[in-house]
Amino acid sequence: MAKLYVDSDKFGSNSASPTVDAFHSAIKDIVRRKLDESGHPWEKFVFDTSYDLITAEDMAQVEKLLLDAGHKFDWSAAISPKERPEIYKPAEGVSEEDIANFSFEHEEAVVAEADGEGREQRGQGDNVARYPENCQGTARYIRSPALVLKYLEEGVPPDTIAVIDDSGGTLTAPILEQFKGVICAGGSTRSHLGILTREYGVPCVMNAKISGIRQGDTVMIECTADPKTAADYQKNVERTAKVWRLKKAD
Amino acid sequence: MPNTTINYAQLLETNNLMQITTDETYWLCVTRTVQESKLFPVPSYMMLSYLMAYYRYPSLLRKIEGRMSAEEIGDRARNMGMKIQNPAMGWALPGFYLLGREWLINMGLLRPTDAIEDLIYVMDFWKRFQLSYHRNDGHRTNKEFGHRNQAMPERRLQVFHADMYDCEQGDELHEAAQSFMATVSQYGFLVSCESRISLHNHGPYKIGEDREMIVRDFMDLGECDWPWLDDVAEGVEYNNLTLTMAVKDAHFYLVDDWGSFEAEPEFTADKLVGVGLYTSDNISEGHIPVGMGSREELIETLKKLDGQIREATEKLWRRIAGWSRDQMIDAGAITYFAICKDLAHVAGVYDPEDWVMVDERAERFRPLLNDEFARDALGELVGLVSHPSQQVMDYTMAMHSNNPTRMYSNIPYSVLSGEPFTASSGPVYPGASHLNPKKDVYTTTRGKLSLEEYNRISREFVPELCQPKFQHLCDTWVKYHADTDLARELYETEQKNSRVLKGKGAGLRRDDVEALRKG
Repeated sequence: MAKLYVDSDKFGSNSASPTVDAFHSAIKDIVRRKLDESGHPWEKFVFDTSYDLITAEDMAQVEKLLLDAGHKFDWSAAISPKERPEIYKPAEGVSEEDIANFSFEHEEAVVAEADGEGREQRGQGDNVARYPENCQGTARYIRSPALVLKYLEEGVPPDTIAVIDDSGGTLTAPILEQFKGVICAGGSTRSHLGILTREYGVPCVMNAKISGIRQGDTVMIECTADPKTAADYQKNVERTAKVWRLKKAD
Repeated sequence: MPNTTINYAQLLETNNLMQITTDETYWLCVTRTVQESKLFPVPSYMMLSYLMAYYRYPSLLRKIEGRMSAEEIGDRARNMGMKIQNPAMGWALPGFYLLGREWLINMGLLRPTDAIEDLIYVMDFWKRFQLSYHRNDGHRTNKEFGHRNQAMPERRLQVFHADMYDCEQGDELHEAAQSFMATVSQYGFLVSCESRISLHNHGPYKIGEDREMIVRDFMDLGECDWPWLDDVAEGVEYNNLTLTMAVKDAHFYLVDDWGSFEAEPEFTADKLVGVGLYTSDNISEGHIPVGMGSREELIETLKKLDGQIREATEKLWRRIAGWSRDQMIDAGAITYFAICKDLAHVAGVYDPEDWVMVDERAERFRPLLNDEFARDALGELVGLVSHPSQQVMDYTMAMHSNNPTRMYSNIPYSVLSGEPFTASSGPVYPGASHLNPKKDVYTTTRGKLSLEEYNRISREFVPELCQPKFQHLCDTWVKYHADTDLARELYETEQKNSRVLKGKGAGLRRDDVEALRKG
């Protein structure tokens, strides 16, 4: 079997991700085999011969190796499990049918009994911008384009606090301005969603670690708290705003 | 072994330029989170784009330089707010090419000794462009300047400063400007498939003891190079808009190589005290005022543009929501790969076959790009720096992380003493796309043009301020020649469209401009 340049590496061995390592190992096996079969020196193989010999079909076989071993992939874009449900882990909380029983559950969510004002802490997040009053509204999960389309057609219900795990600015682009607040379970205050909520003046906590908040719960964001700055992230300063549940959905 | 003239000095410089890019890429990536989206398969399209860049940039940059040098394009870039500002050129051009190279090395498909002439050329093009674009501040990147970008000459800054309208929180101009900036920012993310590359900020520029100016560019807004904006952006009047923003009682301590800013104390709406609005492209005479005839006109213009962009946002979102995954990946990968495509517009050699197609060599790897693999492979490339090729000797302490890692593999100097190497990855190969073909309509400052017209005008047109007569009249020259006829002519050319400074010449200082502005 041909030996690749990277087969002799004094300092590097495996990629950190088992998935990446498995993929790259399988690709290198293909390259070794095809290089052998070509009978060409590397200098001819690398940009000429390999363009014909290393194919999309070879790459599809790489993915199949993991699938045949029983692996299911994580998904991030809703379109991915929609088109190929057989290769991804089940998508939960993306349709109206299963959203009633869905909740983000973060093991680092700080939960506490109700305080004197009846506010039960269900987690915390990084406050994007400070506002004079805390933000109270109704929690509604938004995890799919289909749901955004529904709100685009019908309008976002009044007082919606969107509960999202997408720190990007595109999923909710046409309806973001209509939210009363946003609880985002990912990203940082510098993420696109953080930038946009600040531009629109919509209270928002990013990187939210929450637990037990269900569709329709009445919730409150402590957006009177200090915002988390870039310097806080760089210096690992812990600066969070609380997320409370005031009332469970009926 | 190819017949080549590569020498030691070239390799030393190329490896140095790669290290500069390494250090900044790592800093930029770790001070942000990994960008995922429920709408777009972002890491999947990013990984594909890096391969597209690796295979095509060398040939496309050579094609561009066949008509115009990198340093001349850098001069043009300073004269407008088109998408060859710092994020595209200061970071993405070398970054995407090098990330593609590094990934291929880790798949065993490339050696660090491969396509060396290409690599030297891409980094040299980058250096020459950056030196030219940043000629006023004397740096190659924002990072070298302590995360700052003062690309503009005094004459342009004086016009921006003079013509801004004051505003304060609660007044109609302030509200219109705030709303417009939110709307156009959001549209920019959508146009660019969740990336921020439609947006750019440069500065800060000191316009008073208690205030600074940031210049904000919003680019590729109308029917332009992107097939996905055909029809949906038909009503968007301007392809590029530049908004000048005066901010009081906040210091912008960071404007990074992605063009994002940070201020201390935090920049909040109440600190916005002045705005101006312009459009430009490679066939305009610099920045053309938009709605700047009066305060009332500016308010109405901002509201009108806000409405145009809101309408386009909804139409575009509906289009994208109906796309297949392959279409989303193509659009995202093309957006990334073609981040520097305006180089080709400036040179008048733009061809959609070059820039909005996925090269068949990159296309081979699409079946790898499920969400999980792409996320992890990307995270290892730019965040963890944990791919095997990125590990170096144990004594190493990398900038920022102190880890024994290096994002981009150096060219081994051993190629100068006999180790085999290759010169180039080859010419542009055919490409394809799952997207609709691009309509032959390009929104420019001269209206909507066909590509043939646009390329023809681009080849023929040289902005007055970029003509040989003025090209080398930098701020250092002005410092010693402000009282000459040539300096007056230079400044009055710049001031032709200025409401406040028209005909005022080269002798003004910042305080004079402020006095005239308050007039």
